Amino acid sequence: MEVDRELSELLEALWTLEEQGEALPQDVCQIAHTEVTDRLLERAVHEGLIAWQPSGHLRLTLKGRSVATPIIRRHRLAERLMCDILGVNVEETEAAACEFEHFIAEGITRAICTLLGHPRVCPHGRPIPEGTCCRQAEEHVSALIVPCDRLALGETARVAYVSTRSHPRLLKLSALGILPGVSIKLLQKWPSIVLQCEETEIALDEETAREIYVWRSSGEEPEGGAPLP
Amino acid sequence: MSPAPKRKKVILVGNPNVGKSALFRHLTGRYALVSNYPGTTVEISRGRLVLEGIEYEVIDTPGVTGLTPQSEDERVACEVLLREKPDVIVQVADAKNLRRTLRLTLQLVELRRPMVLVLNMVDEMRERGIEINADALAELFGIPVVETIATYGYGLRQLLRAIPRATVPKNPLREQQREVLGTSPEEADLPLGLIVEWMEVGDTRFQRQVEQLLGRSRLSPVRPLLELSSAPRGCHGCSASRSLCRALEHARAQFLEQAVLTLRKRGRARPRRELTPLAFRMWMGLLFCGVGLLVWDELGRRFSWPTPTVWLRDLLLRYVAEPTWALFHANRLDLVHRLLFGHPDTLECGVLVEAVRVLVLLAPLLVPTFVLMRHSARFLHQLGRWTRQPMSGIPILGVILILVYELVGYTGAQTLVGALEDVLFGAYLVPWLRSMIPSGFLHEVLVGPYGLISMGLTYALAIILPVVGTFFLAFGVLEDSGYLPRLAILSDRLLRLMGLNGKAILPMVLGLGCDTMATMTTRILNSPRERLIATLLLALGIPCSAQLGVILGIAAAYSPAVLFTVFGVVASQLVLVGHLAARVIPGERSDFIFELPPLRVPILRNILLKTWLRLRWFLGEVVPLFLLATSALFLLDQLRLGARTGIEWIEHGLRPLVVGWLSLPAESARVFIMGFLRRDYGAAGLFDLARQGALTTTQIVVALVTITLFIPCLANFLVIVKEQGWRRALAIVGFILPFAFAIGGILGRLLKALGAFS
Repeated sequence: MEVDRELSELLEALWTLEEQGEALPQDVCQIAHTEVTDRLLERAVHEGLIAWQPSGHLRLTLKGRSVATPIIRRHRLAERLMCDILGVNVEETEAAACEFEHFIAEGITRAICTLLGHPRVCPHGRPIPEGTCCRQAEEHVSALIVPCDRLALGETARVAYVSTRSHPRLLKLSALGILPGVSIKLLQKWPSIVLQCEETEIALDEETAREIYVWRSSGEEPEGGAPLP
Repeated sequence: MSPAPKRKKVILVGNPNVGKSALFRHLTGRYALVSNYPGTTVEISRGRLVLEGIEYEVIDTPGVTGLTPQSEDERVACEVLLREKPDVIVQVADAKNLRRTLRLTLQLVELRRPMVLVLNMVDEMRERGIEINADALAELFGIPVVETIATYGYGLRQLLRAIPRATVPKNPLREQQREVLGTSPEEADLPLGLIVEWMEVGDTRFQRQVEQLLGRSRLSPVRPLLELSSAPRGCHGCSASRSLCRALEHARAQFLEQAVLTLRKRGRARPRRELTPLAFRMWMGLLFCGVGLLVWDELGRRFSWPTPTVWLRDLLLRYVAEPTWALFHANRLDLVHRLLFGHPDTLECGVLVEAVRVLVLLAPLLVPTFVLMRHSARFLHQLGRWTRQPMSGIPILGVILILVYELVGYTGAQTLVGALEDVLFGAYLVPWLRSMIPSGFLHEVLVGPYGLISMGLTYALAIILPVVGTFFLAFGVLEDSGYLPRLAILSDRLLRLMGLNGKAILPMVLGLGCDTMATMTTRILNSPRERLIATLLLALGIPCSAQLGVILGIAAAYSPAVLFTVFGVVASQLVLVGHLAARVIPGERSDFIFELPPLRVPILRNILLKTWLRLRWFLGEVVPLFLLATSALFLLDQLRLGARTGIEWIEHGLRPLVVGWLSLPAESARVFIMGFLRRDYGAAGLFDLARQGALTTTQIVVALVTITLFIPCLANFLVIVKEQGWRRALAIVGFILPFAFAIGGILGRLLKALGAFS
């Protein structure tokens, strides 16, 4: 079902709040990129997209959720694209991504997702809803950016980004030298993943390794190597 | 001269395993334990240094990966940095890892204390063809930069000259920080970037400490910046501190990328000289011959085939021991002869004969390995791969275990204990003292059945000392080679079953040395939950060096099946209890992100020094305790209550448990009482009983399992109390005690029902 722009902004705000817990109407007003009027809320309730909770919170209905999923997915993929490929600062991606989410077609979304190696979180560390392409994990188009556990043994690649929600994990990895732009080499996959980074060998569990996304050297690298502005 | 200059403080900080403790020793002359794995130092140590008439207090800290602490040892280091307000911060760095080094430097810079940067291990850096422009680095931060090789003391003089000339570093990220935070650390006079990160990492305990140390009032001007952290921002609702952190991290990454590109020089590098292919093949051939020899010898001894070491022993006995006997005897040196060569009739092995035997086994393995490691980068690379991959890593582990078994189980627990206990103490010293001391109270106290010399000193010096000594020696080699952390990779999946991760293998393996020290090493683990599980497992079933030596010794005397059964049962219980504990204790498994140190050839001097210091510590701590425990037993033995002595009463009281449930002879109750006082004391008592032939094989297995699972010794218990608190310590003991006896009893019945060992 297609919804207009106001509604989709509302759903998006509600989705984001629900990821953190419960959504109060005033919070929705605060973060939505549109004016949240009582009429808008009423319309959304009427269309069966959202529902009032007895406790005074707002909640996405099942229908609302299925409508919001592609919007969120487009928004966050767009952020990922701008941040990693175009090297735009995380803070600046925001406005552009908000425009982006309204007009990209499903086919293009899928292409972007594949190009980026089916990322699972946005640069802010929030999960990106899975698309059909992620589930099928199309491998015919070779992805430019892949999680480092998909490298071949002995393959060298440059770190594109570390996509983790856990800040301590990010700090620990960067303290060990796993930073965007650094070359790493996959030394071992089993029973643990072993990477070489500078002159250090680092052992990781797969869960962590899957969050380190790298530029495959076979793929095209941007000028100057690192995807930094 | 100014009157009584104030004592200045120098703090050594740096990434883990970069050589802080080695430098500390050179600076202060005080020994801090030095090994080749991250997490050797878990506490701070202090020493004194006088430079140019000024007295300095030097503080050694545990390694940190960054100034945002994520484990107990890192927290200790960060706290010290904030609390002590050092006059000089010496950042010790692994020269070959420039990026990581500078990342920490960027954080230290924010503290705005005078700094010196030490690029340590420049030899390893150069071997890898890397060169750093130290002058440019010094200019970039505006601080002295010194190149050193701490293990050899190279560059030390430059460091001593640099410490008094330390300067407050420039902050190269000043502009970027101002842009992100609105003000720079210099303007705010606070380590702002660090504070934002501390807020984000969200360890409330550490946050509170930071507030206390920096002062609430000083923090107040920047509080609006920090208060933002709970409010959602933008349609992503990210906390403000997280976006700030990410922006700071981004600026840092950019800076590091640039810095590494400009500071690294290539061309002047001197890569390691490689062996010629012929020499390489020759040494490899020798190495495989060594492995073959070891396997032949191990199998041969099991199946009574002729083996090289048996031939060698026979040759030595026939051509050296027998001809010299008359000579020694004529000079009344019977004792020396017996100690050196043993008794040809009883097949008892002398120290000299044993030394030759062990050398024949060890040398063909160790010499080619170390030669190849030192001279061939290719081999080092290969060995690194072999040790961390299961297919080759497990056989290598097997070879290492056999070598340790040979050294500790045979040389230590059989030959040395035989020479000391049976010959020196048993056949000479104690009988001689018995004849010298007139019978009476003194006789009983010193050389009676529970005498201070005949039991206390004999156990400590003749049984435990050789076992522990040989173990520390073998362990020192393993520690310094950098092999132990590689076990983390092999064991990660197994440890995950127990709610831990690969990192926990370090305290576990260290527990084989001493559970007390290992309990302190659990500080390197990331979460309190992991520390608790690891502490429990250490107390439950990791045998300490003395126990291990006794198990190896007894197994060597009985059959290898004893060894496999004991280890199999104990290991399965560890996994079981660990798995259950992981389910009961709330919390998540933490990430396994673990740095592997490079493999290195151990330096003999460091190993000998380390072994000697550990033995000195051991003697100082253990001998008094053994004497105390012996006195307690002596008193119990002297105490008469009705028809029985105190010991007999206890044996009587424990009879249902020991005889009824465990089916052990009544006198082994003594062993458990001794085990209460010290783990190794109980093990020694058991060893003594086994040597007297008082136990059947099944009983040996049951007793070994029970005493291994049995409660931790007093020292270990006290450390658990210190690290975990009384309630948890008592809970641990309350669980282990019944559990050990239950398993022992069940095992005994099972073995009997299966008809094993009969």
